Amino acid sequence: MIKISLIILQLLFFIGVAPLLSGLITKLKNNLRMRRGMSILQPYYNLIKLFAKGQVVSGTTSWIFKITPVVVISSALAAALLVPVFIFSTPLHFTGDFLALIFIFSLGRFFLALAALDTGSAFGGMGSSREMFISSLVEPALCLTVFSIFLQFGSTDISVFKSSTPISVSSIIGAIALFLVAIAETSRIPVDNQETHLELTMIHEAMVLEYSGGALALIELAAHIKQMIWFLLIAQIIFPVQAVDLSSPGGLFFWTGWQIARVLLIAGAVSLVEVSVAKMRLFRAIDFLGFVFVLGIIASICAILRV
Amino acid sequence: MQFTILFAVLISTYLMVIAKRMPALIRAFRYQSFCLFLATFLMAIKQSEPDLYAVAALLFILKVIFIPQLLYRTVKKIKAKEDLGLFINPQLSLLWALGFTYLSWEFSTNFISQGNEVKAVMLTIAFFVVLAGIFLMVSRMTALAQIIGLLAMENGIFLLAAAVTGGMPFFVEIAIFFDVLVSVLIMGFFVYRINKFFTHIDVNKLSRLRG
Repeated sequence: MIKISLIILQLLFFIGVAPLLSGLITKLKNNLRMRRGMSILQPYYNLIKLFAKGQVVSGTTSWIFKITPVVVISSALAAALLVPVFIFSTPLHFTGDFLALIFIFSLGRFFLALAALDTGSAFGGMGSSREMFISSLVEPALCLTVFSIFLQFGSTDISVFKSSTPISVSSIIGAIALFLVAIAETSRIPVDNQETHLELTMIHEAMVLEYSGGALALIELAAHIKQMIWFLLIAQIIFPVQAVDLSSPGGLFFWTGWQIARVLLIAGAVSLVEVSVAKMRLFRAIDFLGFVFVLGIIASICAILRV
Repeated sequence: MQFTILFAVLISTYLMVIAKRMPALIRAFRYQSFCLFLATFLMAIKQSEPDLYAVAALLFILKVIFIPQLLYRTVKKIKAKEDLGLFINPQLSLLWALGFTYLSWEFSTNFISQGNEVKAVMLTIAFFVVLAGIFLMVSRMTALAQIIGLLAMENGIFLLAAAVTGGMPFFVEIAIFFDVLVSVLIMGFFVYRINKFFTHIDVNKLSRLRG
């Protein structure tokens, strides 16, 4: 019973807080650029607006177009249950590990690419082709990095990350690689630009261009949740935490505060990167992600050498 | 801590290899030198030798501040900002660099330091930095990029000396620094002259005499 309530709590937490994180990053970016920026709550307003609006579906689309938003949001929520938030272990850790998380994300992306092709518009096809191009480069880099973490912790279960080994070279390099992967995966600036609707530069936005109303809201919410999951995972690796007693109020307070602080730190780092770096040409992404791949290799080697 | 700095050197060398523009290359060189400075400084603290402090300070002043600034200024002066004259594109260079890393790992584990893993890692990274410097000199066609390749090689040799002997004698170190400084000054001037005569610094095209 406690377990089920925990699962529901975690789902509600992700749905409720993930847009806030996106709003916070946007606000930080704007402030770094010496602008006032929109409210932190803007993503919520967007979602409410979109849910209230009607939906336009092209007559030429098939069932794939209709089920894709549901698949995307459910894959994001399923992945959210594989991340430790309130307690050290993940709510669904008996069903999968880090690799499962990667492939659950891939499922959502696969359907999104199919749906973009389904509408038959030129933008959709271009967007899904680019998305697949990027993800084919991201995946090997991500897998290598994850392997280095597995080697270090001796398990593929995400909840073992808490086991507080002192920060090693391999975990530092792995965390840098994961950070860069997360930038590519959450379609942030050196690789993609979330703010643009310019046809030459958009990748993720091009795929969801045909969606409107509630379906678009679901896809956006899924993107927010995905970003939150990535940040929590990186936080888990960069700033590992000693096992604290969660039943005492002090331990709970410490755990919550530390969790919030490290996610905020990563959000700050992301917004700094976004402000200070220019977007790359699409084919420069190969260099960027190739570098991440090499970082993954180095991290694995360090893990094998145990340094 | 020592390992962190060593691997930071490794990563900054990879950054040099994938750099596509001159400022990026200079910045990566600056990172590399800074990591080297940190390593020397750490060694100085550990051994508490005043000589090493002086070497670290010189390293910082010359290679982190002065030489990159000089190179930036040269780049600005000759207005050849974008091009590195890539002979091998960044992705392929990265693969080459990985191959070099493997090669130097094999070399240092099998031939030099059998059984001693810490020393093997140090030697691997030092050899790799030297090899990457040579690679940069061979595969980049502009004179400025080749200068940076030479400087990277020099950094690698510094690291190698530190790995093998724990630092060269103070006066040798000073002499090398002076050498590097003078050579960079002369080469910077050369690049400027080449650019003035030929209106480019592409070494590949310097096969024709011009009065």
